[in-house]
Amino acid sequence: MSELMPEHFMFLSAALFIIGMVGVLTRNNVLVIFMCVELMLTAVNISFVGFAWEFNQLTGQIFALFVIAIAAAEAVIGLGIIMALTRQRDTVDINQVRELRQ
Amino acid sequence: MAAEVLVFNLLSAVAIVAAAAMITMRNPIHSAIALVVTFVNVAAIFVMLRAEFLAAVQIIVYTGAVLVLILFVLMLVNQDDLPEFHGAKPLQQVFGFGLGIVLLIEIGAAILTRTVVAEPGPWDEQGIAQAGGHIQSIGQVLYSGYVLPIQATAFVLLLATIGALFLGRPDEDEEPTPTRRPVATISLAHTRGADDAPLPQLQAANVKHEAGDRDLIMARDADEFTSIPGEDDEQKERSE
Repeated sequence: MSELMPEHFMFLSAALFIIGMVGVLTRNNVLVIFMCVELMLTAVNISFVGFAWEFNQLTGQIFALFVIAIAAAEAVIGLGIIMALTRQRDTVDINQVRELRQ
Repeated sequence: MAAEVLVFNLLSAVAIVAAAAMITMRNPIHSAIALVVTFVNVAAIFVMLRAEFLAAVQIIVYTGAVLVLILFVLMLVNQDDLPEFHGAKPLQQVFGFGLGIVLLIEIGAAILTRTVVAEPGPWDEQGIAQAGGHIQSIGQVLYSGYVLPIQATAFVLLLATIGALFLGRPDEDEEPTPTRRPVATISLAHTRGADDAPLPQLQAANVKHEAGDRDLIMARDADEFTSIPGEDDEQKERSE
């Protein structure tokens, strides 16, 4: 392939998303899980922008903009929850937090 | 054209390696720095895909704001008891990596067998140049068809701010502040020639009840009386 194809960025997006998903499934630190969620959102953004580039549209970029805005709001709320959690339990281990599970 | 593919492959290789480093690092601060590398490479890829504005937003919002926020929280939480230093859980890791490989195979099959039915839109290089530039074209599309989503996003950001304030409020079981504190004004005005006179005992006669809330205590200097006569007994009774 001598030209930039849509498959290039689709595989990049899939790889980043799967790395983020594996991180969420295997790590125990709440903050690292949070970073993995951010990585998954960025991977979805690559797909949006790539499809917008392929079809000569701008709607994909606008959706990516909205995803970034919502991700910023989610970061604020998620980190606030982590701060409240560490203030109450003094741990960042996801296995120590079972109050919602039972 | 081949150079474009080469640059893309280089950027995506660095992004993927940094992402893999992020989930394997034990120290979360190293993970955050690896995530910065990934985000910067993704911004460069956005530039290649005709999304210059998104690349700038990616750098400013993710690398500039979200990662700095994560690093602040990393410094605030207790780092002495990191969960990853207590040994890994093999079942959890096997399950996670297995599911990742299965999903990679599925998505790869979906990508390689896909068929394109969409018509290309008007926003190629010529269309963007006709609109006056990239920012102008994004503004045209965004503010002609997506005004209501913009308002909704603004509302979500407002709610996130309120939620952060609510989650970050101090604990409620702190000591309540005393409701009433005895307050008085010490006046240094006194009659002429009274400097050499012996210090009079503080009695109720020195305290004048003014029209306002505060009592007025006549004194020769500010250190002469440090408390209001009559209030000491009440406070002693209250503490006992």
